[in-house]
Amino acid sequence: MKPEAQPASERPRLSHGSSVWTTFKKQKAFQFFVLAGMLFLLVFSYGPMVGILMAFKDYRIVDGVGGIFTSEWIGMRHFKDFVTDYNFETLVKNTLILSFLKLFFSFPVPILFAIMLNEMRSQVFKRIVQTVSYLPHFISWVVVTGILYAFFSTDVGIINDMLMQLGIIDKPLDLLTDPNYFWGLAVASSIWKEAGWWTIIFLASIAGLDPSLYEAAEIDGATRLQRIRHVTVPGIKGSIIVVLILSLGNILGGGLVGSNFEQSFLLGNPLNSDTSQIVQTYAFNVGLAQGRFAFATAIDFIQSVIALTLILSSNYIAKKVSGSSLF
Amino acid sequence: MRRKRTTEDRVLDSLNYVALALIGLCTFYPFYYILILSFNQGTDTAFGGIYLWPRAFTLDNYTYIFNDGKWSSAFVVTLARTVVGAGLTVLFTCLVAYGLSQKGLLFSRFYFIFFIVAMNFSGGLITYYVLLKGLGLLNTFGVYVIPSMLNLFFLMVAISFFREIPAEIGESARIDGAKELQIFFTIILPVSLPLIATMALFMGAGQWNSWLDSAYFVQNDDLRTMSYRMIQIINQSMIPTDNASGQYAAMRQVTGFSVQVTAMVISVAPIVCVYPFLQKYFVKGIMLGSVKG
Repeated sequence: MKPEAQPASERPRLSHGSSVWTTFKKQKAFQFFVLAGMLFLLVFSYGPMVGILMAFKDYRIVDGVGGIFTSEWIGMRHFKDFVTDYNFETLVKNTLILSFLKLFFSFPVPILFAIMLNEMRSQVFKRIVQTVSYLPHFISWVVVTGILYAFFSTDVGIINDMLMQLGIIDKPLDLLTDPNYFWGLAVASSIWKEAGWWTIIFLASIAGLDPSLYEAAEIDGATRLQRIRHVTVPGIKGSIIVVLILSLGNILGGGLVGSNFEQSFLLGNPLNSDTSQIVQTYAFNVGLAQGRFAFATAIDFIQSVIALTLILSSNYIAKKVSGSSLF
Repeated sequence: MRRKRTTEDRVLDSLNYVALALIGLCTFYPFYYILILSFNQGTDTAFGGIYLWPRAFTLDNYTYIFNDGKWSSAFVVTLARTVVGAGLTVLFTCLVAYGLSQKGLLFSRFYFIFFIVAMNFSGGLITYYVLLKGLGLLNTFGVYVIPSMLNLFFLMVAISFFREIPAEIGESARIDGAKELQIFFTIILPVSLPLIATMALFMGAGQWNSWLDSAYFVQNDDLRTMSYRMIQIINQSMIPTDNASGQYAAMRQVTGFSVQVTAMVISVAPIVCVYPFLQKYFVKGIMLGSVKG
């Protein structure tokens, strides 16, 4: 199907209707495969986008899918309702704080970890630590929540148990239900789960550095730390910047380590909701649990627009910074 | 011609060993801990103080889960959605990618724009729910496997993979009169095993771990997954209520917590088993992902 292998007369020429048709017929099997995919997306991706209409309408779930089109237009009322919602400030504040805390604390970890692994002399030890460290990436947040429960709960938590045994505390800490601990818990557990995985990218970047740079630095009398500072770090600066920009693109989802929704949903409970409830989970709850579909869609729509803007601008900047290839 | 190791080297190396060993331990121990708890009597676990090995060894927790109708059906559903879901995604995504990977495909620019828009903009969970309801997918097994059939990230990965396959491979079959679908199944897929393995791993893990759909898109108890049952039991115990452990009281030494950790072990075990074999594909996968995504 290489175009250059075809005679000139069979090349697609858009000015000539019959020629396009001939090419199309030759490709009809492939066109059919692609159309199947298009149809699928039309339903499952573009369908929900059309559904956004109900954010501007007085829609009830009993109206069914057709109701999205027939229900009455009410303009921006749902958006106004959300902005004046008594939860609004808390939700926005929680969402922003969680996102920025994660960016600030979780972003440097994989870089540091990659440098440490790279400095490790024993290859066997290095491989063991590395293998173990990215295992949590593949387990679900449900299991991580279960693990957190087994470690931090007041009744069966091993940490509270040990601290009490050692006499450091007299009564168990409400790590899972006290609103003061939620952010720490969320940030730490997301690092535990994802940092090892993101190390892969920085390790690969370090592996791509020219060994002669290290030799030259060594001959010039650079110590180990100096070599890390002046060879390794500048060498992977490009990757660091690109990954940083890309994680800024997903900052409201939780950045590099992601999972704001999962954490707020699974680690959040009525007792710590002052800090654990974020915009994403609020929309989900008022929509599915309280049945305020149109209102929740309005919130989703605001989020989608913000997310799209962030992703597009971060992709654009990443491309500018890194040129044609990222690594 | 390596220099002699200086004091700085030795100090750094030792610090590095200690730090990495601690990190490794912090990651590994939680898995080990739930493993030993799953082999310990639930009532004994409640006394605390188990750190390194089971104190009152038992298989009751496992027996309980596999004899309890709810858990065993959850296990079967989870397994089924993993196999069917990953299989469907691999086949359909590869088929669409195969079409898109053809050079000189008419309208391909339009197709790519169509796919990229879908990749970057979503209508949100609520409208998605309304759609599923409209399609009649709610409360069916299909809701687990059909909406995820096309994975846009792997679509891009697969397109660049298929473009590397020499065109001549399909040519001779085409001359012999083979249909494109036949070529796809008998020639293209078999030479794409590394791609298929990576996709199957990621899709399979995603299906196996998925929980939101089971919690919100089905109500039928026969369709609940392991993740859903775990959420249920964790939520019950996170905020203690009187009847939380009531249903287990009748069972010998099994408690809500011991069932929960056992379910967690069952849910992690397959991932730990497949993982070493597929590790070599990770690096490739994540690099491609970062470049394309």
